[in-house]
Formats: sequence, C-alpha cells, structure tokens
Amino acid sequence: MMTATNVLPERRARWRISFSAATSWVLRISIALILVAGVVGSILKDRYSADQWFDLVAFGITIGSVYALIALGYTMVYGVLRLINFAHGDIMMAGSFAGFFIAASMERSGFLDQHPVLAFAAMLAVAMLVSAGIAVLTERFAYRPFRHVRGLAPLICAIGVSFFLQQSFRGFFGAGLRSYPDPVWLRAPVSLFEFNVPAVQVLVVASAIVVMLVLYLIVHKTKMGTAMRAVSEDVETATLMGIDVNRVVTFTFALGGAVGGVAGVFYGLVFKQVYFFMGFTPGIKAFGAAVLGGIGNVPGAMIGGIFLGICESLAPALLLDGLGIPAPYQMRDLIAFTLLIAVLIFRPYGIFGERLAGKRG
Amino acid sequence: MTHQPLLQVKDLHVFYDQIEALRGVSLSVDERAIVTLIGANGAGKSTLLRSISGILRARSGSIKFAGASIEQAPAHLIARTGLAHVPEGRRLFAKLTVDENLRMGAFRRNDRRAIEDDRERLMDMFPRLRERTAQISGTLSGGEQQMVAMARALMSRPRMLLLDEPSMGLSPLMVDFVFDTITKINGEGITILLVEQNASLALQIATSAYVIESGSISLQGSGVSLLHDERVREAYLG
Ligand SMILES: Nc1ncnc2c1ncn2[C@@H]1O[C@H](COP(=O)(O)OP(=O)(O)OP(=O)(O)O)[C@@H](O)[C@H]1O
Ligand SMILES: [Mg+2]
Repeated sequence: MMTATNVLPERRARWRISFSAATSWVLRISIALILVAGVVGSILKDRYSADQWFDLVAFGITIGSVYALIALGYTMVYGVLRLINFAHGDIMMAGSFAGFFIAASMERSGFLDQHPVLAFAAMLAVAMLVSAGIAVLTERFAYRPFRHVRGLAPLICAIGVSFFLQQSFRGFFGAGLRSYPDPVWLRAPVSLFEFNVPAVQVLVVASAIVVMLVLYLIVHKTKMGTAMRAVSEDVETATLMGIDVNRVVTFTFALGGAVGGVAGVFYGLVFKQVYFFMGFTPGIKAFGAAVLGGIGNVPGAMIGGIFLGICESLAPALLLDGLGIPAPYQMRDLIAFTLLIAVLIFRPYGIFGERLAGKRG
Repeated sequence: MTHQPLLQVKDLHVFYDQIEALRGVSLSVDERAIVTLIGANGAGKSTLLRSISGILRARSGSIKFAGASIEQAPAHLIARTGLAHVPEGRRLFAKLTVDENLRMGAFRRNDRRAIEDDRERLMDMFPRLRERTAQISGTLSGGEQQMVAMARALMSRPRMLLLDEPSMGLSPLMVDFVFDTITKINGEGITILLVEQNASLALQIATSAYVIESGSISLQGSGVSLLHDERVREAYLG
C-alpha cells in the first residue's frame, strides 16, 4: 500500500516534466523554423538596398542605446532592493519633459541653435536633475515604507507611482503631444562608413556610450558603487561594515534616475515628441532588456538594451516581410514584447544565464 | 573609579516571533580580554552576537559598549563605534574581489594613507591573501575566505571584534592558524568575544568564558577553570 501510493505521484511528476520539456522543444523548434523561413523569405524578396539595411541597423543601435540607458535604472534598483521600479519609464518621461522645456526656452532665445554644446549639456543636466530628484522622492515616500513588506504590495505600489506620475504630468502639462525642438545641428546627416546617418543618431549613440562608461566606472571603481554591489549581495553584512543602506539606496535611485533622464532627452530627440504616456512602452521594453541581460547585471542591461533595439528595428524587414506579413513596421512593439516573453519562457535568468544573488537578509 | 567593562550585556531577551532565543543573558567583556562563549547548536550564540551588533533588536535588556547604550542603535552606526562583527559562515561579498571586500571593511574611513598601511599590515598577517587581492572572493577556499572575513573586519580599525565560529569547516592546520591570529590580534590591543564549537582551543586562549544553554548563561568563569570543569568536559570537550 505504502509503496504504491508513493510511486504513483512520482511517476506522474516525471511524466509532467518530460511533457513540459517536449512542449518547450516544440516551441523552440517552431520559433527557429519561423525565424529561418522569415529570413530566407526576406533575402529572396530582396526588397531592401544596402543603404536601407544600414539605416535599420543604425536606428536599432540608436533606440537600443536609449533602451540600455533606461534598463540600467531597472537593473540597479533591482540589484539593491529586489524591486521592479515600474515607475522608471515615467521617471524617464519626466526627464524628457524637463529637457523639452529647457530646449524650448533656449529655442525661443536662439541659444539652442547658436551654442549646440552648451544647449545640449543644459538639456541633459536639467533632465538628469529632475529625473534623479523624482526617483529619489519616489523611493523615499512610496517605496521605503514597503521596504520590508513581502508579497505583491511593493509592486502594486510601484504601478501606482507610475500612474501617479503620468497623471501628474497630464494634469500639469496637458494630454497632447508636443513636438521636441529640432535644432539645426541635429538635422544634417553625418557620413559614416560611406553611409549617411542622421546626426541625432550619432549624437545619441556616442553620448549613450559615454554615459554607460561613466556609469560602469561609478559602479565598479568608486566606494559608493562598490557599496551598491555589496548591498545587492548581502544587506545585513553591508550594514556590519558601517554602510548606511538607506544612503546606498538613495544613491542608486539618483544614479538610475539621472541616466533615465538622459534617456528621456534622447528619446525625445529621436522621436521628436513628448507626452505624458511616452514612458510606458519604452519603460516596459527596457525592463525586458534588463531581464534579457540578467536583471541586476549592469553590463547585461547595456547589452540587452542594444540587442532589443537592433531586433525590433531589423525584425520587420528581416523577418516579418519574408513571412509575407503586411505592414510589418507596425509590429515593432510586438516583436519587442514577443522577445521578452520568449526570454521569460526559455531563459528566465537572462541571456547570460546568471542567477540572481541568492538570499537577502 | 569603578571598573568599567568595554562591553556589558544585561538581562537580554531576544525573540524570533514568539520563540524566545535569549532568556535574560548577561555578559561582560573587559578591554583587551578574550572572552569565549561556548554552547551547543541552537543555544543562542549567534543570536547574542547579532543582537550586540544591532542586526537583531532585543525585546528588553541593555547593551553598553564603550560607555554608550547601543541596544537601540541601528547596526551601521554600531559598526562605526568600533565594534566589528565577523559573522557565522564568513559572509563575504562573494562577487566582489578580495580587495573590494577589504575596502568595504574600511567603508567608514577616509584616511587613504592609513588604509593603505593597514591593508599592507593585513597582507603580512594573512600572506596567502597577497597574491589573491584581485580574485573574486567567492572562489577562495574556506580558509582563505575566513582570512578575508577577519581582515575585512580589521580594516575598520575596531576596538572590539565579535567572531562567530571562525574555525568552522577548516582543516586542523588552518584552525591553528586562525587561533594564532586571534591571539595576535588581541596582542595588538583589540578586545575579542569569540564564539566557538572548538571549545578546547577557545577556552585555552580565553581570559574568561561563558557557557550558554537554551538561551541562558549556565556557567561562567576563567578560561582555565571552565576547561577543567566536569560539566564542560562532559558536554563540550568529549
Ligand atoms: N531567523 C530565525 N528565525 C527563527 N528562529 C531562529 C532564527 N535564527 C535562529 N533561530 C533560532 O534561535 C535559536 C538560537 O539560534 P542561534 O543561531 O543563535 O544558535 P547558535 O548557538 O548560534 O547555533 P550554531 O552553533 O548552530 O550556530 C535556535 O533555536 C534557532 O532555531
Ligand atoms: Mg551560530
């Protein structure tokens, strides 16, 4: 009797595992087949010139580096608090607005066109300050009370903060689209490897690389950055070192917010518009990029963001067109979210397969 | 002038939810002493150390360190008063390098020159760490990890060190090294509260010692007297 009842559930469990493994493999193989069919189809159709391919890749890298900057905020906050800051996309939106207002006033006075470097620096500085400030306030007043609360409450609170920020901006600045200033120095195309690239894209990618480099140095070479990584591994032991965890958390939100503000300005410059809901989609995509790179992993977020950007930029032409899907460019977001779902199914720990740091005090 | 111990714990009661893990523990540690605390698994040794360093909050009782009441202070502030806790299981920041771990030990200090000097002295004390400063500390051997854990604590220039089972899981040779090091550290004027399973060695180096059983102190005396106590020999020295 005893053995019979013991054996049965075990067998069933084993069968269930092999069943789920089988479905997962069927899924994998069909995805691979769709990918191959789409790519082969696209290549056979031969609808795009080398110029157009280059444009797509360049745009992918551009938007990807913006995603990467946003993803860094998610990943750093997750690293120290194990919290998904769902309001982070809206913090980026706030930075975009801040950059917009500065740029608009400089445009009126003519400063924007006359002093490109100063104007650009001013936009970034103000956006960083505003986003960092909002991020720090968000943590202090919305997340800190939930610091030691388990379960879904902190996450729901984060979603609430996201709506709060969106609706505040809507309330103060209206629901309409505003077009981002478009200074002359961003209009001229730059020639790169015999291809022409819009100056905006060159500027965005180059600045994003600088920002990421600086961020990497902060996280890996400064005392506060090292403390961030220490807190991320073991809060309790970090406090035994005399580290004030609250200060580290504030620093992390400020850093992530500042980088998000930069991303907001870039996003505005690339798509040439701002509105209160603009943070939502790139926010979720960047969260996906952070997961893609292994959430909590700083270089992973950078690579995940750029990878996602290239995928969503190339996939319509390279994949959907070949599958005969009409209007493939409307499906960019779908591609990004499909990729996110696929990552969650097949590689929940990200493409680098790094597991999250185990316990937390 | 009445004699003031460096650390004085009085009638400490600590709970995990409903379970009382410390039932009125009192203990005192004189400046420059080595005080050993022995007890069976689950007796409450780590709980006591964690309460002293502020990770756990006592329900009642008092803890005085260097004349100040610290039972209500947050852990990071207690650490800044010169109390360094080397936790059970070493708890290195496993993804950080050895050097980064040491720098976290010196987190509160800004005297660069002196930090460099201390690091250099610790490399002399733990020579095996010298060629491993850039190694990710999670990949070190258990003995090396214990050295990093102790060195990290010493980087804060503590007045007192709380050591929770520093010899756990180490080879006999490494155990001897750890105990020699503890004596050496104490010789430099650092007060030590040592929790150990290895009762014989720990009592030999102790100025005074306590035995804890189910959350209460059951015996106390000089290290030597406990070493020869019948009850201790039976229960802890086998
Ligand atoms: N986080 C916790 N939650 C609930 N109970 C705990 C917790 N930590 C310890 N305890 C309980 O408190 C008691 C004392 O534990 P403690 O870790 O202090 O023992 P110890 O003397 O250090 O033992 P060991 O020699 O095994 O390290 C034990 O009964 C243990 O189960
Ligand atoms: Mg213990």
